[in-house]
Amino acid sequence: MTRIGWLEKWTLRYAVVGLLFLAMVGFEGALIRTQLYAPESLKGFESLLMIFRPGSAEASSTEVFYSMLTAHPIVGIYGFAYMCVMGAFYFLVPYLLKTEIRHKKLVSVNFWLQTIGVLVCWGAGFFALFNSLYTLYWPLPVAYDRIPLVGSITFGLGLVMIEFNVLLFGYNLISTVVSQGTGQFRSFGQYLCSAFGITNLVKWFSRKKTDQPEPEQPPVFIVAVARGTIDTSINAIVILSAGVMLLIYGLPALLAGIHLNPGAVDSLIYKNWFWWGLDMVADGNVLMYTAGTWYLLVPMLVNRKLYGENVVRWVILADLLVSLFVWSHHLMGDRPQPFGLRLLSGQFVTWGEFITMGLTMFSVMMTIWLARPVKFTPPLKFIMGSIFGFAIGGFAGLVQANTGLNLVLHNTQWVIGIHAHTQLLVGLGMLLFAVIYALVPLLTKLEIRSQRLVNWHFWGWIVGAMIMTYAMGMAGTQGMLRRTIYEDRLYQPYMAVALVGALLMTVAFVLFLINILSTLGWNNTLSLIIPERWLKTHPDKAVA
Amino acid sequence: MEKREKIWFGVLIFVALAFNIFSLSPLVPWQQWLLWSHPIPTQSVRVEMGDYEIRLPSGGIQVKTNEYMEFVATSTDVTYGFGVFRQDGTLVFQMQVLPGYENKIVWKFDAPGVYDMRSTEYSGPRHPEMFIEDAILVTP
Repeated sequence: MTRIGWLEKWTLRYAVVGLLFLAMVGFEGALIRTQLYAPESLKGFESLLMIFRPGSAEASSTEVFYSMLTAHPIVGIYGFAYMCVMGAFYFLVPYLLKTEIRHKKLVSVNFWLQTIGVLVCWGAGFFALFNSLYTLYWPLPVAYDRIPLVGSITFGLGLVMIEFNVLLFGYNLISTVVSQGTGQFRSFGQYLCSAFGITNLVKWFSRKKTDQPEPEQPPVFIVAVARGTIDTSINAIVILSAGVMLLIYGLPALLAGIHLNPGAVDSLIYKNWFWWGLDMVADGNVLMYTAGTWYLLVPMLVNRKLYGENVVRWVILADLLVSLFVWSHHLMGDRPQPFGLRLLSGQFVTWGEFITMGLTMFSVMMTIWLARPVKFTPPLKFIMGSIFGFAIGGFAGLVQANTGLNLVLHNTQWVIGIHAHTQLLVGLGMLLFAVIYALVPLLTKLEIRSQRLVNWHFWGWIVGAMIMTYAMGMAGTQGMLRRTIYEDRLYQPYMAVALVGALLMTVAFVLFLINILSTLGWNNTLSLIIPERWLKTHPDKAVA
Repeated sequence: MEKREKIWFGVLIFVALAFNIFSLSPLVPWQQWLLWSHPIPTQSVRVEMGDYEIRLPSGGIQVKTNEYMEFVATSTDVTYGFGVFRQDGTLVFQMQVLPGYENKIVWKFDAPGVYDMRSTEYSGPRHPEMFIEDAILVTP
C-alpha cells in the first residue's frame, strides 16, 4: 500500500468504525429475529447480560427486547450509514473540486462526536433500558412509569450530540464547496441556489433572452450533495429538538423531582413535526445522497457521461418539493390528521418520489446500457444491487402510503420488512459497499484481494436480505405487527424463514470483512486505529 | 428531454395515475364508505385505552353484518393503536389512538364471526399484553 494522506486515512477510519457499527447492528438484528421466532429462546443470554446492568436486575424480557429495538435503528442509521457517508464525502467532495477540506479539525471532531453520540444512545438502551423506540411518540419517552428516567435523559443527550455533529458536518461540507474558488459557487447564496435548484430555474427562464454561452455548472454529484445536506440539516434540527425535549422534561425530574406536564405538548402536532424532520433522512437525505453517489460512480465506472444530466438536475429540484411535503405518509393511520394532508402529502406527494426516483434510476441504467460492453466490477455490481433494493423497497412503500391500503398495512411487518429493510439493507447498504469497493483501491492503490469473495458477498447479502424482508413482508400481510412479541406461534414459519435470511446476510458480511482485511492487511488496518508512533517501532510493518 | 426520456416519463405518470385511481376507487371495499358514501352509522361504541388496558363498553360489542358501526377510541396517557383482527390473525382494520383526541373510524363487517382486538402501536414494554380475544361479535 502506498503512503496515504491524512484525509484518506480518516476516510478509512470512518469506514472501519461504520462497519463495526454494522456488525453491531447485524448482531442485534439477529437477536431480534431470534426472539421474534421463539420469544423465550434468549432467556439465558439475557441473564448473562444482566451482569452489565447494575440496578436493572428486575428487567423483563420485553424491556430488554424493546431497548434493543430502540438502539437498533440509531446504530444502523447514525452509526453505520452516517459514518460511511461522512467518510466518503469528506474524501470525494474535495477530490472532485480539487480543493481541501475547509475546516480540517472538524473531520476528527465529527468522527469522535458521531461515534460517542451513537454509543451514548446505544448505552441508553443497553445499560439504562430506554425503550421508547426511535419514533419517540409523545408523550411516551417522558412517561416515566414505563420508560426509565435515566435512560430517557441519556438517550436525549446522545441524540443532541449526534444531531449537533451532523450540523457541524453539513457546515464543513458547505464551507468546503463555497471556499473552493473555481467560480462554480462563489458564495453561500450561490450554493443554496444550486441546492434548491434555483440556478437551473433561472437558467431556464432566461434561456431565450441571451445568446451568451452557458456558465459552467457544478458537477451533478456536488449539486446532489448540496441538496442532501439541506435535508440532513433540517432533519438534524428537528431530531435535535426532540432530544432537547427529553432533557427539558428529564433533568428537572431527576435533579429536583419536578415533573413537567407532558400534556403541554400536543401529541399530533409533535408527531407532524417529528416525522417532517425524520422523513428528511429517509426521503431526502438517503435518496438524494444515494442518487448523487450513483451519478458520480456510474459514469466513472463505465467511462461514459451521465445520460440525461439535464433532466437529472430538474429531478433534484423537483425532489426538494417532494421531500419537504411528503411526511404525512407516516400519519395515514392517525384519523385526527386532516384528510387533505393524508391524501395530498401522504399519498400523492409520495408518488412524486416514484417519478423522481424513476427518472433517476432510468438515467443511471441508461448510462450503463449505452456504455456496453461493460465490465461488472465489484462497485458496479453492488450499485446494480442498490438500484434493485430501492426499486423493490420504494414500491412497497408506495403500497402502504395509501389512504385505503394503509388501514391493513400500517405498523405491520410489511412496513419494516419489505419496505424499510429492503431500502436500507439492499438499497443503501449495497451502495455503501459499492463505495467501499470503489474507494479502497483509489485510496490505497491496492486491488480487492478476492473476486470470488466479492461475488459470494454480493449474492449472500442480496439473497439473504430479500429472503428476510420478503418473509417479514408476507407476515405483515397476514397481520403480524412490527412492534409486538407474539407468545403464540401464529407467525413462526415466516419468522423462521426471516431468520435464515438474516443468517445468510451475516455469512456474507463476514466474507466481506475477510476480503477487505486481507486486502488491507492487519498492519494497515491497525494503523488506522493505533497511533502511528506506536507502529513506528516496527518500521517494516508500518504502512503510512 | 430526449424521446426515450419522454416515453419513460409517460410510463411513470401512467403507473402513478392508474395505481392512485384504483386505490381511491370503490374497488378497495372500505374506500366505498370511508371516502365516497359517508353513511350514518347505526351505532357508535367508545373504546378507552390507558395504563396498558383496553376498556370496552359494558355488555361488549355486537353488530350485524353489513351494518355501519362507528368506533371512537380515546387514550388517557400515551399513544396506542386500535386494531381489529380475524381469528386467523389477519388484520381487518386499524387506526392510531392519540391522547387528547377522539379517534374515529366507521366500519362495516362483511362476514359474521368473532373478532379480536389488539393495540397496534407500541406504548411501553407491556404493549404485547394489550390483546382482547373475541372482543367483537358480528351476527348475520
